[in-house]
Amino acid sequence: MIATTLSERRVRSRGSLIGLAVIAAAGLFLPFATADQPFLLMLASHALIAAILALSLDMLTGNTGLLSFGHAAWYGFGAYVAGLLSKSVSSDIAVLVLLTLAATLLVSGAIGAILVRQVGKTFAILTLALSQIMFALVFVFSDITGGEDGLQGIPIATFFGAQIVSPTVWYAILLGALLLALAGALHIRRAPLGRAWLAIRENSERARFIGMNVALLKLISYMISASLASLAGVLFVLFNGATSPDLLHWLESGKVLMYVVLGGVGTLFGPVIGAVVFTLAEHYVSSFTDAWLIYFGALFVLIVIVAPGGLFGGAARLATRLSARKPGRRAAQ
Amino acid sequence: MILEVNELTKHFGGLKAVNGVNLRVKQGSIHSIIGPNGAGKTTLFNLITGSIPPMSGTVLFDGQDITGWPPERLARGGVARTFQRTSIFMDLPVLENVALAIRSREGRSASLWQSHQHEDEAADEARDILASVGLRGREDAKAGMLSHGYQRALDIAIGLALKPRLILMDEPLAGMSRGDRETIAALITMLRETMGLTIIVVEHDVGMVMRLSDRITVMQHGTVIADAPPDEIRGNEAVRQAYLHGSFAQ
Repeated sequence: MIATTLSERRVRSRGSLIGLAVIAAAGLFLPFATADQPFLLMLASHALIAAILALSLDMLTGNTGLLSFGHAAWYGFGAYVAGLLSKSVSSDIAVLVLLTLAATLLVSGAIGAILVRQVGKTFAILTLALSQIMFALVFVFSDITGGEDGLQGIPIATFFGAQIVSPTVWYAILLGALLLALAGALHIRRAPLGRAWLAIRENSERARFIGMNVALLKLISYMISASLASLAGVLFVLFNGATSPDLLHWLESGKVLMYVVLGGVGTLFGPVIGAVVFTLAEHYVSSFTDAWLIYFGALFVLIVIVAPGGLFGGAARLATRLSARKPGRRAAQ
Repeated sequence: MILEVNELTKHFGGLKAVNGVNLRVKQGSIHSIIGPNGAGKTTLFNLITGSIPPMSGTVLFDGQDITGWPPERLARGGVARTFQRTSIFMDLPVLENVALAIRSREGRSASLWQSHQHEDEAADEARDILASVGLRGREDAKAGMLSHGYQRALDIAIGLALKPRLILMDEPLAGMSRGDRETIAALITMLRETMGLTIIVVEHDVGMVMRLSDRITVMQHGTVIADAPPDEIRGNEAVRQAYLHGSFAQ
């Protein structure tokens, strides 16, 4: 009996490791393929930031079942806080990441404590309201934030005094951040915390009646998710050298939600793939036609109806169907 | 007495759902609460298990005042419940359903790391509990794939994983086939015999309750109209009157 658990555990962790390795290999290979096309490397860098953002939302919506319509709030929060700090405190990337994450934990903890007591639609609507408030704050304090013009003139990020300018180095930093975040997310999902989140997503009433502090567990999920989104914002503003209120717009929140649905809610790998596919497709399709959003809307509807599991879920289902005759499956009948 | 309910009251607007109810439950007994529809059984159940707060009155568990405790605190304090509409984690494996409750009991729900030894110990304990409710060999199935009877048994197994001293079951036989009802009834008796659990059952199936219970409390219109061993309840005139319009014959 114990042997089954052990082998299952190995299979599951092997699957995650293979997934991580594939993403790492693909990511490392890319700079060589794009050596003579610097633009592609930049596009890929933006895709990596989008992937971190998508992962952050999946840790909330996919793991714990809390739907956020305003996740860009934390993306923009991270970008503006890091941008302002880099102009006033330090341009060191490590310092900026740490300070911004501390600020995010503080603010998301306070806001989350109110949010997680709401359920379902109320929670989703309040997240939307929160992002709109943050959006409005940029204009209220436009003398600090630059208002509609955005926050400009961010100094070049440094690391222990050395300036980070090479696109390849930036790309490596972003890839490293994504792989770390993904490895962390995969680890948490297998740890008791991640499994408690799944239980809450499945049946939060029952979770309470087995003694779980559901509000606290939801809050932890919210804070981790907000922090990861904020990290994506920090990386964006330092990579990009500027940020605009667009980052906080509800359209941005909608896009993140699309990454997650496109890739497969709750699969962690799926949203990462969804974000990359979306970012590349957005670039190429929008160069053909201005109406690209219409095509994406149609694709979104199609995926929700035809493949509710998204790209990753669909692929996984296909793989299961192909291996359906293997003996291990029969135990589930 | 493991549970003492004193003058418990809850009104919903003008409806006196539970009105000054007193209840004494003996340690290690199977104590059933019956009554016609709308008698206030479910409200009483929800008041005791922390789903809703009472307007007045007290609930003592083993001498400790647990009135108005929220469910998660009760669960950690040794009071478990099962649900009328089976409440399990449908999309998770059967074993994980029980392991979640074990980790929660040990205060490890929020932990970021667990050793293989911990995980194996929890899995072994979960397997033992599942075997005791007749779910041996189904550990790896998704809970949602089980039959109704097995899902009900899993619901009970999740409750048992909390190592409770008192378990409250809300209509454990409702919606079951005849065969499943016998299985669950046998399981309830077994829990009392082998684990010394105190079990409170709210039930519609009066015939089964008569066979199962050590003591029966009969409610009507939010109050207790009888409280006695099954034999005395059978001959009680007030109970006959309360059930005159139907369900006693079932």
